[in-house]
Amino acid sequence: MVTDSMTNASIPMAVKDFAKKKRANRSAKLKQCKLDARREQWLSQVKNKGCKEETVHERDGSDRSMENLEIKPRGKTNEGSIHHHFSDLDSPSNSPSSVSGSNLSGTNFTGSSGSSSSSSSGGSCSGSITGEDEEGGLDDWEAVADALAADDDKQEQEQHNPSLEPLVENESIGPLDSPNLAPEIEEVSEAKPEHVEKAKRVPPNCRAWKPDDAFRPQSLPNLSKQLSFPMNSGRRYGCGGGAWGCKSVISAPSSCPICCEDLDITDSSFQPCLCGFRLCLFCHKRILEDDGRCPGCRKQYDYEPIKGEATLDGGSVKFRLARSCSMITRS
Amino acid sequence: MTTINNHQDTNTPVTAPVITSSKQPLSTTKSADTQSVLKRLQSELMALMMIGDSGISAFPEEENIFCWKGTITGSKDTVFEGTEYKLSLSFPNDYPFKPPKVKFETACFHPNVDVYGNICLDILQDKWSSAYDVRTILLSIQSLLGEPNTSSPLNTQAASLWSNQEEYRKMVEKLYKPIAAAA
Repeated sequence: MVTDSMTNASIPMAVKDFAKKKRANRSAKLKQCKLDARREQWLSQVKNKGCKEETVHERDGSDRSMENLEIKPRGKTNEGSIHHHFSDLDSPSNSPSSVSGSNLSGTNFTGSSGSSSSSSSGGSCSGSITGEDEEGGLDDWEAVADALAADDDKQEQEQHNPSLEPLVENESIGPLDSPNLAPEIEEVSEAKPEHVEKAKRVPPNCRAWKPDDAFRPQSLPNLSKQLSFPMNSGRRYGCGGGAWGCKSVISAPSSCPICCEDLDITDSSFQPCLCGFRLCLFCHKRILEDDGRCPGCRKQYDYEPIKGEATLDGGSVKFRLARSCSMITRS
Repeated sequence: MTTINNHQDTNTPVTAPVITSSKQPLSTTKSADTQSVLKRLQSELMALMMIGDSGISAFPEEENIFCWKGTITGSKDTVFEGTEYKLSLSFPNDYPFKPPKVKFETACFHPNVDVYGNICLDILQDKWSSAYDVRTILLSIQSLLGEPNTSSPLNTQAASLWSNQEEYRKMVEKLYKPIAAAA
């Protein structure tokens, strides 16, 4: 929940910043705030994403359509809203047409909101964006509202808005031809139906992290272990969250089921038993000293071929002894 | 390399305490074990509370996380329906490699529970696996209530009466002392 509130705080600033981009001094300050907030947020998450963060900052002002595409997969870990406001940045600064493009895309997506598994937290973020967005692009929003035949009630708009976020993701996932992105957006402002179609086509991809996503950070399961996070993520990613939950439990537990310590890289590539029950090397050694049975299937470990030792003909027992020796000295 | 080694040699006063502490494997491994048991028990407690199974619950005693109190409610459509039993779980220092000692605190008229509350359940003895936890233990005991092993009973009277479920139910009700009254 801490991260949630942080995002909420940072995004309005960010959006305001770009909506009023020409006020250079102020936007510089706000940008700094935004960067700080975002850095904190990312620092609290995965370390290895730090470098990407830097690249994002550097490119902040340039070539945004490219950036959207690149940021997306990572942004989803943190908060959909982060890349969301990036895409929003596009609009005010690039061209008037793209402004309406992004706004329209939001409203379009509302039409197909059945596929938006977006969450309450994401919603609140985008909600705050609306509020700020109106300062910069009020006319556009009104136009959008008219087009929708929606009333001017702000809350109403905020309800529509959450769907903005998934759509932006879709755009990034669907058409990977980034150079075409900007033209497409302009087209959209003229030919709205096309965009609706696209939005409807893409939703199967709108899951925040696919289980096999190359960009999915390894530490996701770890995050979900944190006390408050599991509930958040479950809510935020809807069906997607459940999918990873199962996946991480069954195929790659993030912590040893015996001692509950995190599995390091060696541990997580360690498959001591054919039954697939995984545990850390320490617990495995401990069990070998004891009865030597796999906790998962109760079979003797000795009778199980150990992965990675297949090349040692019949030497698995020796190898294991050596390993336990080394671990004794280590401990 | 030699210079580095020399340098390290000069630093021995700094590293010495570390070395001596690692030369006392007994004490360090013991405390490390306790630490890992603590971690395991804490995450079990967390999982128990997050999952929130109906019919079972467990919580550590006030000052000792190695002693828990659990409760089990009799499953529906068994002679134990509507009853609630309190259990004590005592975790050894080498948990989960060794099973906890589990006893009924509330008197339980059951073929595999003796008058002292000891439970005859394979997974609490030779069939224990370190992959079991408090939750699976309690669930196993809960299912044991409805499906006793009458071939090796601790309570022969209960075992012989089991075939007559109506009489058995009466006996359960007669001997049942609710937790509140027992406490």
